[in-house]
Amino acid sequence: MKTFLIPAAVLALCAATASAWAASGTVLRAEKLYSQPAATSKVTASVAKGASVEILAKQGGWLRVKSGSSTGWIRLLSVRAGTGGLGGTGVGDVVGAATTKSDPSRVVAVAGLRGLNEEDLKQAKFNEAELARMEALTVTPAQARSFAAQSGLAVARVPDLPKPQAAQPASTWGTN
Amino acid sequence: MKRKMIAMAVSLVAFSGVAGAFDLGKALEDRVKQELEKKTQPAQTTEPAPADSTATKKIDTRQLGMTLLTGYSVEEEVRIGRQVAGNMLGAVPLVRDDKLQNYVNLVGNWVALQSGRSDISWHFGVLDTEDINAFAAPGGYIFVTKGLYRRLNNEAELAGVLAHEIAHVTQKHHLKVLRQSSVIGALGQAASKKAAGSDPVVQNLIGNGAEIMARGLDKNAEYEADRIGMVYAARSGYEPWGLPSVLQDLAGLPAKDSRTGLLYKTHPHPAERLAALGEAVDGRLDAVGGKDAASRFYRLK
Repeated sequence: MKTFLIPAAVLALCAATASAWAASGTVLRAEKLYSQPAATSKVTASVAKGASVEILAKQGGWLRVKSGSSTGWIRLLSVRAGTGGLGGTGVGDVVGAATTKSDPSRVVAVAGLRGLNEEDLKQAKFNEAELARMEALTVTPAQARSFAAQSGLAVARVPDLPKPQAAQPASTWGTN
Repeated sequence: MKRKMIAMAVSLVAFSGVAGAFDLGKALEDRVKQELEKKTQPAQTTEPAPADSTATKKIDTRQLGMTLLTGYSVEEEVRIGRQVAGNMLGAVPLVRDDKLQNYVNLVGNWVALQSGRSDISWHFGVLDTEDINAFAAPGGYIFVTKGLYRRLNNEAELAGVLAHEIAHVTQKHHLKVLRQSSVIGALGQAASKKAAGSDPVVQNLIGNGAEIMARGLDKNAEYEADRIGMVYAARSGYEPWGLPSVLQDLAGLPAKDSRTGLLYKTHPHPAERLAALGEAVDGRLDAVGGKDAASRFYRLK
């Protein structure tokens, strides 16, 4: 166990200081690799769900990855960074460790930092002065619009994303 | 069958806000009026309230639907949010950097303008902790921790994180949890009270301190906030990949990092969130451009 702790801390430091994209990853769904970061470009290879890839670069919604002898661009959302595996329901070491109740004796304090816990929030007492401070920092919609315009942010028409199929109850709604 | 029809009509009205267009709309309006009057009347009053009381008049149809959905008026929602936020700030104060806080409020309010909720004022704050997390309280009180902020690379990523939290507010995820576990109208008796300090009625409703923020929501509420958050950010002119990029970064952190303990207690693992988003997004955002506004991203001192 102890030998694991040092690499973990080193890894965290690397991720914080250097580019996060010199990392390994796992393919989350059966996917294609493209020659360019665009679905209209040539397909260079296929990768299976669960395959390991090396992440080489990132551009918008795409990652450039190496899988075996093939290199190409894959959708950002089809890969997870890190070595924790698929991260499906209860599959993989990382997910298991992350979702089971934490055992205080096994908590690793990375670089001596301590996170917030449930007890901190439970014990919290209303801080009127700090809330007044937060409310005083509020900006107006006009200020927000002018801020957006300064860097050319313009409202875009983007339709809602669909709910997952499994969560949709069978009803007459869908047909009309 | 009849019950199903009514349920359908109710959800239709609740989501579209066009009560007048349906036969059942009037009946529904009356039902909500009753509900509101019940809440605005002192408990000991036995006489029926006048139907045209000002308390019911000023509430619009969309709000009627939402009130039915969660059981709380906007005023009550904000009261709950203030109490949760005040408690949260009792656990962790704001980072003492007004430029940072102003910047986050500008980005947050710009994204909130695309969320369709203009009946509340939105407040954003960076909490002075190395913990990696973000929180949303009802009524538009949103927090991101310094630990998460320092991992961000550009404004689109900040917008994505804030948009996820904004979606929790617009979808009233926490209010729905409270609604399920508490008595309707518990807040009614003191509804007009405008106090700056701690609100004992609300505190009684939300439990101890800010523990409601540590309890977490249903997994599907998190996936929904991810989907809606990406869309809000994209509608605000940002590239939609900010939120997924942050999730990628978190997925690469060691599992037992103490800074993500609470995050993973209350959220599905980032890998699961990426997979769920991948199913929903697929190629749908391929044509969406957007900016990352990296050059003006405010770096922590």
